[in-house]
Amino acid sequence: MEFLNLTLGQFLFVFGSLSALSVALYLLDRTRRRRVVSTLRFWVRQGQPAAVSRRRRIQQPLSLFLQLLGMLLLLLAIAEFQFGGALNKRRDHVLVLDTSAWMGASLPNNSRNTLMDLARANAIGWLRAVPSSDRVLLVRADGLATPATAWESDHRKVARAILESQPGATALNLSQNLEFARGLQSQSGATLGEIVYDGPGRISAREANNMQMPALPAFRVLPVDDAVENSGIRSVGTRRSQTDANTWDVLVRVRNYGVRSHVVNVTLNFGNAPQGNHQLELAPGAEKETSFTVRTQAAGLLEARLYPKDAFAADNHAALELPSQRSLHVTVYSNQPEALRPALASDPRVNAEFKSPQAYSPDNDGLVILDRFRPETRPQGASLWIDPPSDSSPVPIKQRVDKPEGLQWVPDLPLTQGLRARNMQLEAASVFEPATTDTQIAEVAKGPVMIARGNMLVLGFNPFAGAMRYELAAPLLVGNILRWAAPDVFRDVDVSTQSAGAVSSPLAVGFDRKTVQVLNDAGQVLPFNIRDRAVQFFAGDSSRVRVLAGNSERVYSLTLPEMWDVKWNPPASARHGIPAWNDSIRRSRSLWPWLAVLGAALLLAEWILYGSYTTSRIHIVKAPERFAA
Amino acid sequence: MGGHNRSHFAGGGQEFLDHRQFHQGDDLRAVNWRAYMRLDKMFLKMFQIEPRVPVRLLLDTSVSMSAGASGPENKFEYAVRLAASFCYVGLVHLDTFEVLPFAGELHEGKTCGGGRQRFSPLSKFLETVKPAGTTNFLKVARQFLNEYPQRGLVIVISDFLDESGCEKALQYIADYGNELMLIQLWSPEDREPQDSGEFDFIDAETAARLRIHVDSDARRKYTEAFDNFSASIKTVAFRNNGRYAGLPTNVPVDEAIFGTLMKSQVIA
Repeated sequence: MEFLNLTLGQFLFVFGSLSALSVALYLLDRTRRRRVVSTLRFWVRQGQPAAVSRRRRIQQPLSLFLQLLGMLLLLLAIAEFQFGGALNKRRDHVLVLDTSAWMGASLPNNSRNTLMDLARANAIGWLRAVPSSDRVLLVRADGLATPATAWESDHRKVARAILESQPGATALNLSQNLEFARGLQSQSGATLGEIVYDGPGRISAREANNMQMPALPAFRVLPVDDAVENSGIRSVGTRRSQTDANTWDVLVRVRNYGVRSHVVNVTLNFGNAPQGNHQLELAPGAEKETSFTVRTQAAGLLEARLYPKDAFAADNHAALELPSQRSLHVTVYSNQPEALRPALASDPRVNAEFKSPQAYSPDNDGLVILDRFRPETRPQGASLWIDPPSDSSPVPIKQRVDKPEGLQWVPDLPLTQGLRARNMQLEAASVFEPATTDTQIAEVAKGPVMIARGNMLVLGFNPFAGAMRYELAAPLLVGNILRWAAPDVFRDVDVSTQSAGAVSSPLAVGFDRKTVQVLNDAGQVLPFNIRDRAVQFFAGDSSRVRVLAGNSERVYSLTLPEMWDVKWNPPASARHGIPAWNDSIRRSRSLWPWLAVLGAALLLAEWILYGSYTTSRIHIVKAPERFAA
Repeated sequence: MGGHNRSHFAGGGQEFLDHRQFHQGDDLRAVNWRAYMRLDKMFLKMFQIEPRVPVRLLLDTSVSMSAGASGPENKFEYAVRLAASFCYVGLVHLDTFEVLPFAGELHEGKTCGGGRQRFSPLSKFLETVKPAGTTNFLKVARQFLNEYPQRGLVIVISDFLDESGCEKALQYIADYGNELMLIQLWSPEDREPQDSGEFDFIDAETAARLRIHVDSDARRKYTEAFDNFSASIKTVAFRNNGRYAGLPTNVPVDEAIFGTLMKSQVIA
């Protein structure tokens, strides 16, 4: 027994007030009936009936009872009184509709319909069985839980949202979605209804291994039959060859999700030009890899396709954009280019041009190296000054030191990465007088010998002179300088295609946390987490994401749908299928119209029997016809 | 004047009415000499005077007539219909009627006669009569006797509820030689109250209030008092050789005319 519109306290207060008012009016009015009579002489003359000054007695208890009962019934109707307690309470249900990528698969016997259509039909059927007074909230479930509606009593809005639901790009994260639904339901404040999962229940292995199902007192599953044979591309990875910078190594992983063996063909195209075709035989549940080689310096679209086509077309095609091979143009003004030539020729990404100081021109692109030479006009771009003359150095020279001691590289700078002082033995060096804004790279006991100022780097010594030219520090220093001048050119780029959703990108050994960045196509920073030497981030839809870490860059082209690994089995306590119609009819029963009619009838009867209503007032008076004639 | 309404008064008419003993001063021409010779006593022959006497209908229009029951059982409506019936019967008998409404005083009346075709003006007159005012029988009697000195038949349709009493006024009218026909009307509730409990009674005429507790014993005594009152009215009528009829308004008018009134010879 319950009231939908009033609490018990409010109901008792209102009814008590009305009852007290009714009784008071009754005692004031009904206890002494007023009547106009022809004469009082026969009452007075007898003297027998004693006049009563004031008596508070209820003369018509049935009238008062009918009034109170009528008001009680009307108030019960207003409060929407219901029998049955919690069974008849308005409840809040959460419908978790599976919108994972797998829901886009076609049905085996009807290619025009998808698993999503089956799930929508199930959801609509369940919604029709829900009592009209209950509220429903729709959650679209894939890798994330997305509420599609508010708590709605208007089930048509929920039905509209169900019909508008489409498959996403990620795999189902069931436990997270159910936990989200339980949290919403517990915060609604109303009586808890059902949490309904509508879908085939395909989850990833990662979730299956770490699954923690929340405790759901009323959990229902609307199963969707997904016996669909499917083979699909799991990922496509590309990396520049270690031996040939103009060659890309491409690795394609394919999996058979079905229960029968399949023979599939993997074809690779680059810029619409075929690059190869490999045939694979896949056992049920097996995953295989196949590799391709693509030789190109140009950028272009690399596409991997899987044949024959099957019920789920989304994972039969993967595409990624390969970047072009970038290079750094280095102009060297030196009278002794032989010393520098080996260091610059070792990297194919460096395009070195050697000129004599007399051919100097300030208009240069890329990096300009001035070997013991000071031009009249400084170069406009990045420049490396090697042991400039003491009288015309861009940074003032304090003194010239022969065989300086105490050489130290300032740590934690990109320019000093991998350099150790014990490997360096200088013949002579110029000690600079740095400005406060200059960055000191290396110093000896007398002072700094390597200074960075803006896009200008000044060395007070010649690393290619004397014994130092045979040290490992010389090419390391040149390599660091080249990366400093053009970091994008010397970054190691990996390009791969895989599924959207949660992505884990491995990091190189000794990575610097501060240099890690995750950017989308628009250059916006995506939130990420570093765990177990890997960057973890989430992409809810198909996009391209760049992961930058030091000198390496990984480009993820997330065009593949995130697929499932295992099928989830619902707990034994879960209800299955659409509830019976009778159940909803029984729970949607409402008493208030009957209470209102009965209350009004009682008040009407009381008015007719005891009120001012009399039948004589509506009596039609007819003239006696006998006399009227 | 006129019609077939027979007079009960002796006088100089043509038709023998009765004998009585001779008194000094009587007209010797009316002595029955044959009886004197046979019985040696002088008897005087009385003749019925003019048979068509004036008929005046006093209709009570006080507020008490409209109190109590409504509709056909309302005393005022009942009295109007009864008055109309009397007038119609009188017009059929070629009598001449004068309807005089009254309450605290005598109001302007309506004279009708000359056959049934003259009933329409009277009917319209009765429709204009509305209950109002407080009953004052004594004042009405004086006014009536002043304005209508010629004796005749006086029909009074009323509930006879006057705080100062009506017996004296009725006797006053009879003493002037008028023949009384008293028709007392009451609604069933006037004679036999049905409800018990706490009541706040309000007098319809005086607006006096009486708060009493009514039980079955009180109702029985009330009815006794009412019957005693009716008996006193009846006594006044019979004592003056008049006629009396008491009519509850729950009896239909036609049934009252052809039943109660004819049996009690109020109308012939």
